[in-house]
Amino acid sequence: MADESWNKAKRIFADAIKIAPAKRLPFLDEACGNDAETRREVESLLNSFDDAGSFMEQPAAHEVADVIQQNKALEAGKRFGHYEIVRQIGAGGMGEVYLAKDTRLERPVAVKILNERFSHNESNLERFVKEAKAASSLNHPNILVIHEIGLSDEANYIVSEFIEGDTLRDVISETSLKLPEILDIAVQIANALAAAHTAKIVHRDIKPENIIVRPDGFVKILDFGLAKLIEQKPIGFEASTVKHNETAKGVILGTVNYMSPEQAKGEKVDARTDVFSFGVLLYEMIGGRTPFEGDSMSETFANLINSEPPPLARFASEVPEELQRIVSKSLRKKKDERYQTMKDLLGDLKDLRENLAFGERLERSHSPDNKNATAVLQATTGDVNQPTNETNSIFTGKIKRSNPLAALAALLLVAIIGLGYYFWSAQKTASNTTEKKSLAVLPFVNASQDPGAEYLSDGVTESIINNLSQLSNLRVMSRNSAFRFKNNQADTRNIAAQLGVETLVTGDIKQLGDKLIINVRLIDASDDSQIWGNQYIKNSADVIAAQYEIAQAVARNLRLKLSTTEQQQIAKRPTENAEAYQLYLRGRFHVFRLTLPEIQQGISYFQQAINLDPNYALAYAGLSDAYRSLALGSELLPTEFLPKAQTAANKAIELDDALSEAHTTLGATLFWQWNWNESENQFKRALELNPNEANVHIFYAHLLSNTGRHAEALAEIKRARELDPLFPFAGALEGQFLLHAGQPDEALDRLRKTFELAPNFWMPHLFAASVYSQKGLFEEAVAEARKARELSPTQTVSVANESYVLAKLGKKAEARTLLNELLKLSETRFVPPVHLAVIYNGLGETDKAFEWLEKGYEQRDPKMAFLKVDPKWNNLRSEPRFVELLQRLRLS
Amino acid sequence: MNETQQITQMLRDWGGGNREALEGLMPLVYDELHRQAANFLRRERSDHTLQATALINETYLKLIDQRDVNWESRTHFFAIAASMMRRILVDYARTKNREKRGGGAIKLTLNEDALVSKERSIDLMALDQALTRLEKHDEQQARIVELRYFSGLTLEETAAALKVSRTTVVNDWAMAKAWLHRELTR
Repeated sequence: MADESWNKAKRIFADAIKIAPAKRLPFLDEACGNDAETRREVESLLNSFDDAGSFMEQPAAHEVADVIQQNKALEAGKRFGHYEIVRQIGAGGMGEVYLAKDTRLERPVAVKILNERFSHNESNLERFVKEAKAASSLNHPNILVIHEIGLSDEANYIVSEFIEGDTLRDVISETSLKLPEILDIAVQIANALAAAHTAKIVHRDIKPENIIVRPDGFVKILDFGLAKLIEQKPIGFEASTVKHNETAKGVILGTVNYMSPEQAKGEKVDARTDVFSFGVLLYEMIGGRTPFEGDSMSETFANLINSEPPPLARFASEVPEELQRIVSKSLRKKKDERYQTMKDLLGDLKDLRENLAFGERLERSHSPDNKNATAVLQATTGDVNQPTNETNSIFTGKIKRSNPLAALAALLLVAIIGLGYYFWSAQKTASNTTEKKSLAVLPFVNASQDPGAEYLSDGVTESIINNLSQLSNLRVMSRNSAFRFKNNQADTRNIAAQLGVETLVTGDIKQLGDKLIINVRLIDASDDSQIWGNQYIKNSADVIAAQYEIAQAVARNLRLKLSTTEQQQIAKRPTENAEAYQLYLRGRFHVFRLTLPEIQQGISYFQQAINLDPNYALAYAGLSDAYRSLALGSELLPTEFLPKAQTAANKAIELDDALSEAHTTLGATLFWQWNWNESENQFKRALELNPNEANVHIFYAHLLSNTGRHAEALAEIKRARELDPLFPFAGALEGQFLLHAGQPDEALDRLRKTFELAPNFWMPHLFAASVYSQKGLFEEAVAEARKARELSPTQTVSVANESYVLAKLGKKAEARTLLNELLKLSETRFVPPVHLAVIYNGLGETDKAFEWLEKGYEQRDPKMAFLKVDPKWNNLRSEPRFVELLQRLRLS
Repeated sequence: MNETQQITQMLRDWGGGNREALEGLMPLVYDELHRQAANFLRRERSDHTLQATALINETYLKLIDQRDVNWESRTHFFAIAASMMRRILVDYARTKNREKRGGGAIKLTLNEDALVSKERSIDLMALDQALTRLEKHDEQQARIVELRYFSGLTLEETAAALKVSRTTVVNDWAMAKAWLHRELTR
């Protein structure tokens, strides 16, 4: 359309849309006259305008928002060359960083994908590649190893080793570093830089974000040579603009805080620029702020060029003079006045560290109670907002008042880390990769002086077991079996053979002051060799992080392929509150002792844990378990505690529906309340979430057996026993279920094996008594029942059982003596009515038996759950009263 | 000279008639917008409406040296940013189409929200082509579409960016919409 007619149409259209559609025709007649073409065009546009509705009302971004969302990060599982993205672990100015799996070498790697911005200029990239390669070829333990640099049309990327840890930035902002820790980190950085400088490589961008501190205290420096890329001039600008650098606020993505004056001014830089930046870093670690920090970038810049940094003593007291000297020598504005080499600086740092440690040892040996001896070791960073004339006692801190142990811990830490006490043994590939691997985590040894810290070593072990047992291609020995080897001195091959596993995890935990030192070893049981080992030094508060790191490391070193869900599951932390977690562990520790006062103690710990973290699902599950144990201990009223158990279980599920433990405990609680269907649903859900948990199989088998689904029950309990071969409870129950299933001989066989496994365990003897009595061998039954009662004299079930078999044997007087004992007991506390009913049935007093069964029904006696399958009731099965009772119990 | 200042300088040069400056400027603006877009969505995960104005403003603040910039530069910047936004969003649409065809991650779903509000989804690639045709008839209308639709500017902002009256924007926007709608429904 010609311009003129377009403009004409435009004018007419603009006027026409202001007129109501119905009145437009006369207007168009007039406006267009006999210009039919314009008229057609305008009419067509008006029609389109009326039809358009919401067309283009939403900004265009709306149409592609989903794609943008998706593109914001590479998704897990996406392949990138032979790397498979696991998840994004960081994003910065230069690009995004992903944890990925190298599918060829089966190892985790970090992939940094460079923004286009940094990839424009090819010669720049080449220079960067050259330098990165050179830095990597130094093969220095404190320098991140670069595996590959990929330059493709799609993207430019750098693949490096994957380091688990926090940036020094996080470390500085989250924890107060103590002097020995500061020196240790500093020495490692200086070491790496010295090596790089010897190879004529300058980092240029030393700052806390470029330094990773591993959980074990080991330091890695990142991004060698990358700084050059950042400095690259935007396209279209030549060297002639360099003059303007004098007024620069700093390169666009960088911060001026860590720059040397010559760097900020855009002058030529050499290794001494790293000395300066390192000095800034050291200053910040000690003083809690950078030396030239101003309110704005330009102020910082001015300070850097013109002012001397405030003395460190203003922010931290008792900084050793020598350290202050080292810092200020590193921060000289003229590079000729600074340390000329990193090596010199390193030497001074090492000397200082040694002198401090020596002085400490000396003082301690002379006056063990001298509180000041610990002073210098208790460095913490200061609060910069404090008035400067009132020096904080930063390097002394609260520990001055107490705890010489903490000082020792700190000293040990220095020694340990300083010596590079870090053992990576050659990584062996565990045998066949396609087969499901098997592993047992042996109870960690409590290496602390304090036996009270046992809850911690037990708890950490259990948590690692739980974390690992969620992995589908790993068979993990359950807690119950593994804990049989607590404090066991047998050699690892022997233990592995008994447990039927290929690999073992062993470890010990030492609590020193507020530090935990955890040693872990992964052992190939076939030749007793170490596959992997590591030492974790953690603040007590970080115990949760430590155990999931350990679980992840084990999985990694077993070369397990983890699905994305499994990656998430294994990293799942039950709570972020370390104190709550410790209370939870204490709770577990006590509840496992299964006596009334211990369980009550455990409940109190769980409640404290919940008070600290009201969203702590696992603590609610633990609480539920504890209440159920109280209800089933046959001493307290089940109607008081089963509902409590149920409430806690429901709360746990409400907080975390994906928590297998929560569904297990709810299932078990419902089972003992005769809610068979719902109980089964819960067990199924629990197994879906964690198919390798022996406890769930045991409970589920119990439900199946008691409701008469014997074949299924036997399959389930067999599965539990496979997972937990040394757990006598599973063996005992299997005997009982075999009896329920009408296989007394097989039952006896299984029970006998369980006797061997656990000679002092009462339960298999109790069940053996039932088997003999069913076979009519009452003498043997009495012997077994007596044995059970000897081993567990307080269990009313043992008393009732013995009384029953005595009655069957014809020793009615003896039976009545025991009956009277129970009747008397029932006057003062709860005795399960079913137990009394059983005795009356043995004595042939059927009415009495029904009377007590009725009481059992009224009191919701959990043990009524056995009525359908316990052969002791076989004589009454045709009784209408019995039939009717089973109906009420929904067991018919 | 740091990057901010260089970009500001380039804007000024471009405003002064130096076409090469635009060449240098485009990739920088593009990169920054791209990153801002991703950042934006990361922050407002549940909200699918990309607030493009804020986005361009943020990009602007980030890239331009504020002490050394006049209204002129700002107008230029918005014009570039708007055409960049068009390119970025059309690129995304292309990706989306490709993934649909390739049976990739994106399923050809009926957006339930869209059904409820009776919205039709717009094929941005087709719209982009139509817009290029419109540009031949009326460049100002095309710029308005870039600013309004692709960059989400208000009528007032668009008027200010193009230094035209609000009424002009209203009229041109209405006609461009009608014209493009007709092109896309043919």
